[in-house]
Amino acid sequence: MIQIDNLHKSFRSRTGTVEAVRGVSFSARDGEILGLLGPNGAGKTTTLRMLYTLMAPDRGYIEVDGLDVQEQPTAARRQLGVLPDARGIYKRLTARENIAYFGRLQGLDENTIDARIAALADTLAMGDFLDRRAEGFSQGQRTKTAIARALVHNPRNVILDEPTNGLDVMTTRRLRSFLRGLRDEGHCIVFSSHIMQEVAALCDRIVVIARGEVQASGSPDELRALTGLDDLEDTFVQLAGLEENAA
Amino acid sequence: MRAEGIKAVWTIARKELIDLFRDRKTVMLGLLLGPLAMPGFILGTGAMVENKVRTQLESTLELPVIGAERAPNLVAFLQSRNIRITAAPEDPIQAVREQEAPVVLRIDPSYAERWRESLPAPVELTYDSSLQDAQIPLQRVQKVLTEYSTTVGALRGLQRGQSPLAGHAVLVGLRDAATPEARRGMLLTFLPYLLILFSFIGSAALVIDVTAGERERQSLEPLLATPVARTTIMSGKILAACLFGLLSVTLIVVAFRISFQLAPGPLQLVHVSLAVALQLLLVLLPMILIGTTLLTLISAGARSVKEAQSYMSILMFLPIVPTFVLMINPLKNQLWQFAVPFLAQNQMLLKLIRGEVISAGEWGVYMLCGFGLGLLLWLVAARLYHRESLGISG
Repeated sequence: MIQIDNLHKSFRSRTGTVEAVRGVSFSARDGEILGLLGPNGAGKTTTLRMLYTLMAPDRGYIEVDGLDVQEQPTAARRQLGVLPDARGIYKRLTARENIAYFGRLQGLDENTIDARIAALADTLAMGDFLDRRAEGFSQGQRTKTAIARALVHNPRNVILDEPTNGLDVMTTRRLRSFLRGLRDEGHCIVFSSHIMQEVAALCDRIVVIARGEVQASGSPDELRALTGLDDLEDTFVQLAGLEENAA
Repeated sequence: MRAEGIKAVWTIARKELIDLFRDRKTVMLGLLLGPLAMPGFILGTGAMVENKVRTQLESTLELPVIGAERAPNLVAFLQSRNIRITAAPEDPIQAVREQEAPVVLRIDPSYAERWRESLPAPVELTYDSSLQDAQIPLQRVQKVLTEYSTTVGALRGLQRGQSPLAGHAVLVGLRDAATPEARRGMLLTFLPYLLILFSFIGSAALVIDVTAGERERQSLEPLLATPVARTTIMSGKILAACLFGLLSVTLIVVAFRISFQLAPGPLQLVHVSLAVALQLLLVLLPMILIGTTLLTLISAGARSVKEAQSYMSILMFLPIVPTFVLMINPLKNQLWQFAVPFLAQNQMLLKLIRGEVISAGEWGVYMLCGFGLGLLLWLVAARLYHRESLGISG
C-alpha cells in the first residue's frame, strides 16, 4: 500500500529553478497494478525516487504500508522492492551474485537467498545466464537480473521504473504475466512507463502525469470514456496535453 | 541492529573486493607496481650513489691549472696525488659554469715572489657550490693543497729550528655520532615519501571507483534503495579499500625488506627485522585510513570520476611536503610533530629506518592523531554521502 499526497520537488539548474513535481497525489493499493504514465521528463522518475527515499520532497507526504518514509526511511525501504531507471548491474559479478548481494543487504540468510534465486530465475527464465558474468549481457538479461535483484526479498510493494525498456516481445509478455502473478498474491505494484499500450495491457489503474502534475487517473476504460476517444495513444496524447507541443 | 549493520558493512566490503579482484589487470598494477618499483628504486639508487662516489674518489682527477709554470713543485705534488693537470681554460668561471671541469686551480702571478719571501703564496680554486657533482673533486683538491701547505710549512719551521708541532695550536679530533643505521638512513630520505605515498593513495583507483565510478555507472541508485543506511554502505566501501591498501602496503614492506638484503654497498647493511617491518606496517595503518577516507570524501563530493581524479596530483604532492621542509629546515624531534599528518609519518618512518627507539608517548600521540584524523574525515565523508545528488548520475 502506497499513499502519495501533494508531492513537490524542484531542482536548481543553471537556467533557473525547475519544478519537476508539482503536487502529485495518488495511492496504490495492495493486489493492484498501478501504472504511472507520462512522457519523458514528466516527473515520474523523480516521484518514484522520492518514494524510495533517494530524494527528499520539498513538500508533501509519502506513506508505505503505514510508514512515513521521511520519518522512517529504513523501515519504509524494507517494504519496497525497487527497479530504478538506472539498472546498475555489477558487470564483474554473475547474475546470481548480483541478486545474492542484494539478498544479503536485505538481511536474508543464505538458504532463503538460494531458494528465492531459484524461484525468480525460473519465473523470469534466467537459467541460461544465471551463472554468467553480467559483462556482455543483453538489455533483457540485464533487466531481468535487476528485477530479480529488486524482488529477492519478496517485498510487499514493488516499484518498477520503465521495466520493459529495451525488452523484446516475449520477454515483455513473460514479465507481464509475472507481475500479474505478484498482484494476485496481494502485492502492490507501481509501474512507470511512457507507452500507453504497455500500461493499458497490464495496469488495473493508470495515473497520467505530465509537467509534474497528475492529469487524470482511472482504469484504461475510464480514461477512454473520459476523453471519448477509442485509440489508447490518442487518449494518452490528449490527457497528457501533448497536442500543443506536437503542433 | 548493530550486528546487522556490521554484517552489512562486511557484505559490501566483500562484494567490492570480489568485484575488484576480478579486474585482474587493475589489481596486478595496483598491487605489484609498488612492490616492484620499490626494489628497483632502492637497488638502482643504491648502485648509482655507490658507483658515483667510488669513481669520484678513486679515479684520476683532471684539474685545469692556470699558471702551472709558476709553481712546478706544487704541480708535481698534485700529480703525485692522482691528479692529472690539464690545459687551462681561458675563463675559469665560464668553464666551471658550463661544467667543463668541476674545479679550476689558478696560481697567482705573485706566487713565486711571495714563496721566496716565505709569505703565504696565493692560489685560487674556482667551483660552483650549487653543483652536487663538484663536491668530491673540490674536497680532493683542497685536501691536497692543505697537505702541501702544511708539509712545506713544517719544513720551513724545521729549517728555522722550530718544532713543526708549534704550528698546530689546536688539535681537532672529529667524532661522528651517527649510528651506522643513521648514516645509511641519509641515503634513504626518499623512502618515507614512497611508503607514505603508497599507503596514502595506493588504493586510490579502487576508492574512486567504488563511489564516483559506481555513481557514473548508475549502480549506486539501486544500492541506496536497499534498507542499508548510507553510512553503512560507505563504511563497507572504505573497509574494502583499507583492506586492499593494507595488502598492498604489506607487499611493499616485504619487498622493502628483501631489496635491502639484495642492495649493493652500504644499503645492504640496512637490516629490516621482522619487528621493524611490523612497526612500519603499524605506522602506515593510519595513513591508509586517512587516504581512503579523504578519497571517499572527494569522490562523494565530485560530480564524476574525472573530477575526483583531478585531485590526485595535489594528493601526490602532499606527502612530500614534510620531506622538503625537513631538507631545508631540519627539525628537532618534538612530540607535536607526531600529531601533524605526513610530518608525523615521515618522522616515525625515519626513526624506524634509522634504528632509533620510538617512545610510548610518541606512539600514543601518533596513533591517536592519525586515527583521529581518519575518523574526522570519515564523518565528513558520511555527511557528503547523505547528499541527495549522490545517488543520481546525470
